[in-house]
Amino acid sequence: MGRRADDEYDYLFKVVLIGDSGVGKSNLLSRFTRNEFCLESKSTIGVEFATRTLQVEGRTVKAQIWDTAGQERYRAITSAYYRGALGALLVYDVTKPTTFENVSRWLKELRDHADSNIVIMLIGNKTDLKHLRAVATEDAQSFAEREGLSFIETSALEATNVEKAFQTILSEIYRIISKKPLSSDEPAANIKEGKTLVVGPQDTDTKKTCCSTS
Amino acid sequence: MVLSSSGMRRRQSKTDISQVLAAVTSAAAAFLLMPEIFLGGDGQSRIFLLAEAFDSSDRGGNALIPSSFNVGIAVAVTTMAGITLAATLVYSSRRRRRKHALLAKQWNGLFDVDGRLFDGGVKFLKKTRTGGVEPSIRVEVWPFLLGMYDLKSSKSDRDAIKAKKRREYAELRKQCRQISKRGEKSFKLKEASENNSNGDGEDKSQVSDSSSLDEATSVRPSRSSEVSNSSIELNGRRELVEQKEDDGENTTENICKTETDMLDPDSFDDLEDTKPLLTSTEMEDDKLYEPIYSALGNLTMRSVSYKVEDFVTWQRIIRLDAIRANAEWVIYSPCQVSVSEEKAHQLAESVRLKDYDHLEPSRVYHACRLVAILEAYAVYDSEIGYCQGMSDLLSPIISVIEEDDVAFWCFVGFMRRARHNFRLDEVGIRRQLNIVSKIIKCKDSHLYRHLEKLQAEDCFFVYRMVVVLFRKELTFEQTLCLWEVMWADQAAIRAGIIKCAWRWLRLRLRAPPTEDLLLYAIAASVLQKRRLIIDNYSSMDEIMKECNSMAGHLDVWKLLDDAHDLVVTFHDKI
Repeated sequence: MGRRADDEYDYLFKVVLIGDSGVGKSNLLSRFTRNEFCLESKSTIGVEFATRTLQVEGRTVKAQIWDTAGQERYRAITSAYYRGALGALLVYDVTKPTTFENVSRWLKELRDHADSNIVIMLIGNKTDLKHLRAVATEDAQSFAEREGLSFIETSALEATNVEKAFQTILSEIYRIISKKPLSSDEPAANIKEGKTLVVGPQDTDTKKTCCSTS
Repeated sequence: MVLSSSGMRRRQSKTDISQVLAAVTSAAAAFLLMPEIFLGGDGQSRIFLLAEAFDSSDRGGNALIPSSFNVGIAVAVTTMAGITLAATLVYSSRRRRRKHALLAKQWNGLFDVDGRLFDGGVKFLKKTRTGGVEPSIRVEVWPFLLGMYDLKSSKSDRDAIKAKKRREYAELRKQCRQISKRGEKSFKLKEASENNSNGDGEDKSQVSDSSSLDEATSVRPSRSSEVSNSSIELNGRRELVEQKEDDGENTTENICKTETDMLDPDSFDDLEDTKPLLTSTEMEDDKLYEPIYSALGNLTMRSVSYKVEDFVTWQRIIRLDAIRANAEWVIYSPCQVSVSEEKAHQLAESVRLKDYDHLEPSRVYHACRLVAILEAYAVYDSEIGYCQGMSDLLSPIISVIEEDDVAFWCFVGFMRRARHNFRLDEVGIRRQLNIVSKIIKCKDSHLYRHLEKLQAEDCFFVYRMVVVLFRKELTFEQTLCLWEVMWADQAAIRAGIIKCAWRWLRLRLRAPPTEDLLLYAIAASVLQKRRLIIDNYSSMDEIMKECNSMAGHLDVWKLLDDAHDLVVTFHDKI
């Protein structure tokens, strides 16, 4: 079956959005894939995803971003959610300390269910609510460093740093992928088939992930 | 498919017979002229392909042509007697329109002088199963459909039940306020003690929080049976009783007043006299409500071990979801829209709802009612507590029913089955996905093989439809129609009508009542897309995307027709 022109790409990267309910996962997704923001977006039930094709390090990458309900109870049934994911955006709400505190639990969740080499980026969302900020940038920054995560603060509402966040994680994934024996001359054969790509430990320039244990 | 193009696509209703005949003739001729197009399937699928050409819907394939339709086509093709087929077509296009809903006049005529349904509700359910209920009488009908009122009850029975249920609901609300108050205290205490014990000085908040959260995680799977560990043994019941004794006049009571006053000014005089929890003897007395009460019976035992931390979490998520509830109901409930800002904000304060500044008063009010009822439910059924998606099931109920206590008990009746969707052990969801898979396998082996090839035969792609019972895929009004028909089936089974009056029901609708009508409807929605799925989709992701984007494109009555056809064919095989 022939692919349409807008569906041509070198790589397909699956990235999952995780984090507590109400931190803005769905709006980050809609901002990135459709440049939309909905103040009254409904809670996500089940699993949804959207895609956007963009240039990353000179390659055409189709980013497939998966979104799901934030409530822990949905985790087990959606364990398929993590299958084949190369990246995870772990989102908290800078105005809600609990959502930041729960980040450690989400990291454990990733350790248990995702590929051990998954690239993780911590995102503090809702920076537009300046007067309500309750999680200091420095705290999150130092936490991310300790855990070996990239970190960025965003506002899906104001479209601040959303593009940058996705670009960063996709570039990071690309750098890992392109170093694999699966050479970039025959790009993404496996990835396109949706198989999990095992990313080896030789990728020294990427940030160390937290997933070496358990 | 060649045949489905050009003049074959027609408007669904009011089909001109001459157009039908033209369509019949040309399609049948095409069938005879181009038999090779249809090679590769059995006879039935060949007929299906032709039927697809006739299908008036404009959505891709349609695997679910009524069997009479198939027969009609077969006859036409064999004899070239277009009239037979035309009749079938006209018949089936009529079938896809909504049947007549139960009207207010009919409904009122179904009761005898004591206010009892004449025939134990057979006629009522028969009518509802085929066409749903007229919007104006939903508020009266739903308590019957959802088991709050027994189908055999008299008016005075119902008055008594209603009064009793009202007290019970008020009691549950009171417990909510007390638990949350206690919960906040205990949570703070626990946090403090953990911070003290983790004296390494490094990032205390994270250490304490992650450990408390881990603890919550680890106790959850066995919540119903575990023995609580002392540090978090702040459970609903015992604490409640203690608190009741030492709590004098305080803010909680004031809040309680505010809220109840608002809901119904004169019905809670005896609030202080109600027992802390419903007793087991009370349950035994109440034979009418056995199914619902059995859940309550479990509660009495279960609530001993549930954790305040869980309840606090539920409270937080309930509020999040209440604020962002779907507002589609607004145009259907004009009287609820007229609520004053003052009243809405007062209620918000009483249920401790915040962050609602961007909402109109009517939506704030709606959100408050969601909070109150969902919290009460979390206490009532603490094994389930609150799970995202439940607000989507409750919202339509409170849009129709303005009294919180009645809405609550209707919700309880709804959840009697739907609660399995939200169980932690996933058994309920897995069972249902499995049934959808089986229906598809029985109906359409070709499609099923395709799904197997994509490793999608577990039907995970319909997960959302199962969890919130089509709420996300259908409009507000469509959802209510589907649910009413589904509830009527469940009510018929509950009342044992399936055994005694099955022939009665059958006169109108060939399908027997089933607990799983929703699953047949879900399978039908997938089968309607069979062509698209087989021809164009090569991964589960794509099918899931298709299913997620069905919102607003489904015809609920066609879906129900297809579902009923599947029930007729497969109910004894599934």
